[in-house]
Amino acid sequence: MSVPVMTVPGEPPAPVSSAAVRATGLTKVYGSGETAVHALAGVDVTFERGGFTAIMGPSGSGKSTLMHCLAGLDAATSGQVWLGGTELTRLRDDQLTRLRRERIGFVFQAFNLLPVLDARENIVLPMQLAGRRPDPAWFDAVVARLGLRERLRHRPSELSGGQQQRVAIARALLPRPDVVFADEPTGNLDSRAGAEVLDLLRSSVRETGQTVVMVTHDPTAASYADRVVLLADGRPAGEIDRPTAASVLEALRGLGG
Amino acid sequence: MLSTTLAGLRAHLPRLVAATLAVVIATAFVAATLVLNETARATLLRAAGAQYVGADAVVTARDGGSLAGDVATLTALPGVAAVDPTATADVQAALPGRSAAYLQVGSVAADPELRWQRVTAGALPDRPGELALGLPTDAEVGDVVAVSVLDPATGDVTATAEATVTGLVDLAGDPAAGVYAHGYAVPAQVSAWGATDPTELRVAAAPGTDPAGLVATVAAALDGRDVTVSTGEEAAASAVAYVTGNRLALTAVLLVFATVAVLVAGLVIANTLAVLVAQRTRDLALLRCVGATSRQVRRSVLAEAAVTGLVASTVGVGAGIGLAAVVSALVGTDSPIPLEGVTVPLYAVAAGLAVGTLTTLVAALGPARAATRVAPLAALRPADPAPLRSRGGLLRFATGLVLVLGGSALMALGVVMAQIYPALAGGAASFLGVVLLAQRAVPPVVAAAGRALGRAGGLPGRLAAGNASRNPRRTAATATALLIGVTLTTAMVVGAASTRATAQAGLDSAYPADVEIGAYGELPSSLLPQLEEVDGVAGGTALAGADLTGPDGQPTWVQGVDPADAGAVLRSTADLPLPALGEVVLPPWAAEVWSVRDGDEVTLTAGANSRTLTATVGGDASTPLLYAADLRGLVPDAPAATLWLRLADGDGQRDAIAEVTELTGAAAPDAYVTGLASERAAIDQVLDAMLLVVTGLLGVAVLIALIGVGNTLALSVVERRQENGLLRALGLTRGQMRGLLAWEALLVAGVAAVLGVLVGGAYGLIGTASLLGGQDVVVVDVPWVQVGGIVVVATVAGLLASVLPARRAARTAPVAAIAAV
Ligand SMILES: Nc1ncnc2c1ncn2[C@@H]1O[C@H](COP(=O)(O)OP(=O)(O)OP(=O)(O)O)[C@@H](O)[C@H]1O
Ligand SMILES: [Mg+2]
Repeated sequence: MSVPVMTVPGEPPAPVSSAAVRATGLTKVYGSGETAVHALAGVDVTFERGGFTAIMGPSGSGKSTLMHCLAGLDAATSGQVWLGGTELTRLRDDQLTRLRRERIGFVFQAFNLLPVLDARENIVLPMQLAGRRPDPAWFDAVVARLGLRERLRHRPSELSGGQQQRVAIARALLPRPDVVFADEPTGNLDSRAGAEVLDLLRSSVRETGQTVVMVTHDPTAASYADRVVLLADGRPAGEIDRPTAASVLEALRGLGG
Repeated sequence: MLSTTLAGLRAHLPRLVAATLAVVIATAFVAATLVLNETARATLLRAAGAQYVGADAVVTARDGGSLAGDVATLTALPGVAAVDPTATADVQAALPGRSAAYLQVGSVAADPELRWQRVTAGALPDRPGELALGLPTDAEVGDVVAVSVLDPATGDVTATAEATVTGLVDLAGDPAAGVYAHGYAVPAQVSAWGATDPTELRVAAAPGTDPAGLVATVAAALDGRDVTVSTGEEAAASAVAYVTGNRLALTAVLLVFATVAVLVAGLVIANTLAVLVAQRTRDLALLRCVGATSRQVRRSVLAEAAVTGLVASTVGVGAGIGLAAVVSALVGTDSPIPLEGVTVPLYAVAAGLAVGTLTTLVAALGPARAATRVAPLAALRPADPAPLRSRGGLLRFATGLVLVLGGSALMALGVVMAQIYPALAGGAASFLGVVLLAQRAVPPVVAAAGRALGRAGGLPGRLAAGNASRNPRRTAATATALLIGVTLTTAMVVGAASTRATAQAGLDSAYPADVEIGAYGELPSSLLPQLEEVDGVAGGTALAGADLTGPDGQPTWVQGVDPADAGAVLRSTADLPLPALGEVVLPPWAAEVWSVRDGDEVTLTAGANSRTLTATVGGDASTPLLYAADLRGLVPDAPAATLWLRLADGDGQRDAIAEVTELTGAAAPDAYVTGLASERAAIDQVLDAMLLVVTGLLGVAVLIALIGVGNTLALSVVERRQENGLLRALGLTRGQMRGLLAWEALLVAGVAAVLGVLVGGAYGLIGTASLLGGQDVVVVDVPWVQVGGIVVVATVAGLLASVLPARRAARTAPVAAIAAV
């Protein structure tokens, strides 16, 4: 169990070249005074380039909060977050927004897609917002790998839950982001569709060296990852390399989850 | 359920505030109209009917016979405190500042209860030889006025007297007060000045006597006599009845605009409530899950609407009364419709409250029905607001179609028959139809405009287009509210412009020259160049005149004109054809005298010279017109007899005419100057003022509609919180988010404005054609600049309405996309 780390004044530590995302001394406090909730109470964590990491922990342990801070969706109370060589915690809203659409991909549990756009438009949305043109060969490859070729003209309401998640993954992979964050991407799917989505995430890591960070509750889902980071009460609570469903379950029991 | 309703109200209060603004404005409009109406009535009653308002009963002789003998009878009746025989005498008086010395002197009642005069200075007279004068007058208290008593039959002066002015009486607000001077003296003095016998008695009741009972008692005492007995109020009302005709028409017009405002407010609030219910689908479903019946849900929604409507209309009535007070203070008593203070009748308050509350309730019926259709299971499913196509929609569509077709037929009839009434009825019917059809017609137009926008506006534009056509019903209702205001405003603007153009064209052809200068003798040739120098004179031409001998052998006065010069000066040659070389234009009377028909040869002679010319019969000219060179060929030294001038358009025409008149008078004392330029300006002024007022009134409706646009956007922002969060997470900057909302507002407001201008333009033209179809020419004038201005103003205002919602949308945190619903 690590002790909360205060940020050291002076020069920030130089980014380690192989790390895709790194956080030091990250804290997040909701509210103030007696009702203050320390959702993150000092987290140091590193995600290697080309790795598939799962974040796990009991409900309320701060998994989503950690992911939001790492992805620049929410501001941390203190500490630093680095994406490659860029310190997110120093950026203004507009710079963060631009960084998100160019260097980060997202897959959420639900409400991933804009209902007014069809699948194709949803997939290219972040690139369009950035005013960039997707590489057609790469677009075809992604769409083919995700089996969406026949569904590109469909609106989200005409797609199944699994198909919607695949569209979201295609959207996340298309700009070749530095990292893809997924928050319970299989939470709304049955086990077969869930397995499909997890396979796709893993193969994108294996085949194209994509970095993926995934929050999940499900030990089976976690077993697709290379590594599991455990959280409890807003603090890191250990790691598991090459996890299996059984080893994850065991570790979670240890946390009382 | 009531506690749930109130909790719901509290929770949605901020959103309801914006919605209720529409009801507040509409109610204020209604209340202000009614209060102003009543204020005008009360002002008139106080002024024109002042002498009756304070009386408890009034006896009038129907045959004009004397009632002098009845005073004692009535005074003796139980419950009667005093009886005042109203006597008047007509005298001549030398009043300062008033040339007409005619003075009507009325008697001052002995009983203070029955003295109605409002004294502004001094006091009422209380002995003979004293006089109070009605304002306005330059006399002051203490002045001595010489009075000549007239013989009523012959009008001869029979006696003279002097009277001291003891007081001044304010007659402001009495439209009859300005006709002649009014004075007041004690009864003895009035009869000394030759008062006729009283034909009217005013009765004051003793304290504690019921006026209605008094009227009955008096009527019984005078049973068998040819008299009318009425209460003071009734007598005052009939005394002012003749002035109220116009005012009632004005109230009717104002109420039409108030109805438009209420209609628009109804649309806006229906829309808002629908969105609120849609947003609360989950809450409502949860209520149903835990056992609320659908009837309880509906009652909860309706109760919320009733409370909202009541609060909003209370505020609206208050605002309306305040508005009326401001208008009353601005208008004052010195106007065609005198206003003094505010009179707030109970019915105005009641009507305001009823209209506001009922409008809100009726508007809530649809949403309430939608709320009861929420299935308990909806609480467990993600919300998917699918647009529904109901049977009600089909019925609306059919009704709309029938109304539009029937109305159009009526309007066509009105145009063909040149009758405004069928056209008006058709216009009202078809407009109702348009409003009903807008539900169907607007969404496809928005979708089409959205596709165009998607190409032009980039990604935010495309998203906005998608959002705007996502809920077609709501978009349609929002656009319809704006459409109504824009349509009516455009109809007014186009109608007024065409009316003005038609009236001007009529004037132009009847009076083609702005200024005509004629002389019985000749005009000095130096006059034209002099007049052309005058500021505001655009050009002029001179017509030479001479006596020629026609086919009948008689000398006839003819004039020679240079068509090239005159063409530039005249505003129209429709009724004044100009001759070509070798031609003579004969007015019909000349053709008749000379027995000449169109195309005949006419020989005119002057002394030894003679010329044969081709006759053209027609036109309104006062004399036969020759080509200038033809006339000079006959009479080489023919002098200028008439000058035609054209004035520069715009202000300053009056000044120009004044200067022209002065110069002409100096150069040729017997010349006369006539001109219609000032009439033209007067017509312009009246139409402009009318247009301004009407546009201002319709502006209220447009304002309400724009609040609706802002409202709908604000509510969709709340509705799409998650989506907007997702967009922010995926990289939409705050600026792009604001752009998204701006495009959406632009799309809805723009479509409504363009459609409204098209429909309204058609109405304006149809109205003009049917109203003025009886005229020779109907000139269609579409003031493109103003019409374009309407589109721009409505669209830009819609854009402004999006500012607050956009700011809120831009603040959506990216985590909103992932946060629990
Ligand atoms: N907006 C907020 N305001 C106040 N407290 C919050 C807020 N968001 C999260 N929290 C608190 O922060 C803590 C961590 O929340 P977080 O959502 O990160 O947990 P989690 O690990 O993702 O849980 P779960 O597995 O249930 O999704 C919790 O105690 C939660 O109550
Ligand atoms: Mg979570």
